[in-house]
Amino acid sequence: MIEIGRIVVKTAGRDAGCKAVIIDILDDKYVLVDGETRRRKCNILHIEPLNQIIKIGKNASHEEVAKAFDELGLKARLTKPKPKTARPRTKRKTPEQLRTQKEEKRKLRDIFKPRKKEEKQETKEATLEEKAGLAEGKEESKEVKPIEKKEHKKKETTKIKKS
Amino acid sequence: MPAPRLRSRSLRKVFRKVSGGRVSLHYKKKKPKNAKCGNCGALLKGVPRALPFRMRSMAKTKKRPERPFGGVLCSRCMRQAIIDNIRQ
Repeated sequence: MIEIGRIVVKTAGRDAGCKAVIIDILDDKYVLVDGETRRRKCNILHIEPLNQIIKIGKNASHEEVAKAFDELGLKARLTKPKPKTARPRTKRKTPEQLRTQKEEKRKLRDIFKPRKKEEKQETKEATLEEKAGLAEGKEESKEVKPIEKKEHKKKETTKIKKS
Repeated sequence: MPAPRLRSRSLRKVFRKVSGGRVSLHYKKKKPKNAKCGNCGALLKGVPRALPFRMRSMAKTKKRPERPFGGVLCSRCMRQAIIDNIRQ
């Protein structure tokens, strides 16, 4: 029953219930199988042979097995490893790149910061002026207020007199 | 006397040695029974005996063997089932 090209079903392990073809006979105990299962060495006791036999060479490659399985209407397992993706690595920036980066930062600064600075400066100047003005104004107000009061008082007094 | 809610046998008792050399009685939830084969009733290997909340935090691959009917049938019954299915 065990011969190259015999279709079998695995009855043990994680590939249990999957169909495969015997590719090679390694020993009186072990065979090499491939197909829906992984391509692997396999104990004869962990295999259940079927009646089907397909034409396949000894040690056939996985692609050949996949072709043969396609004709049977079965899908062979993809055993090809995933293509390795390059690990992302941070590279040091060249001095030119650093310069451009600095310039960009400066541009951004020019867009956002200077207005605030101007406003702040204006406010500061204004406050200073105001302080000066206030200081002067206070003195003036002190001088002005009593006069006004006096006028008001005079008016009131005049009103009272009229009434 | 323990509190009335602890007097029922739905909790198991654990003697814990506490700091100070004192032995105190702790009450813990009972563990579930071992998983068994659905066909022959044999104890399943590779299925942990843990409380449901602990099982929930486990990975799927840690909760049952990775083969068809893993965690339901024992390996012997699984093999027999596959062979029977083929020979029919």
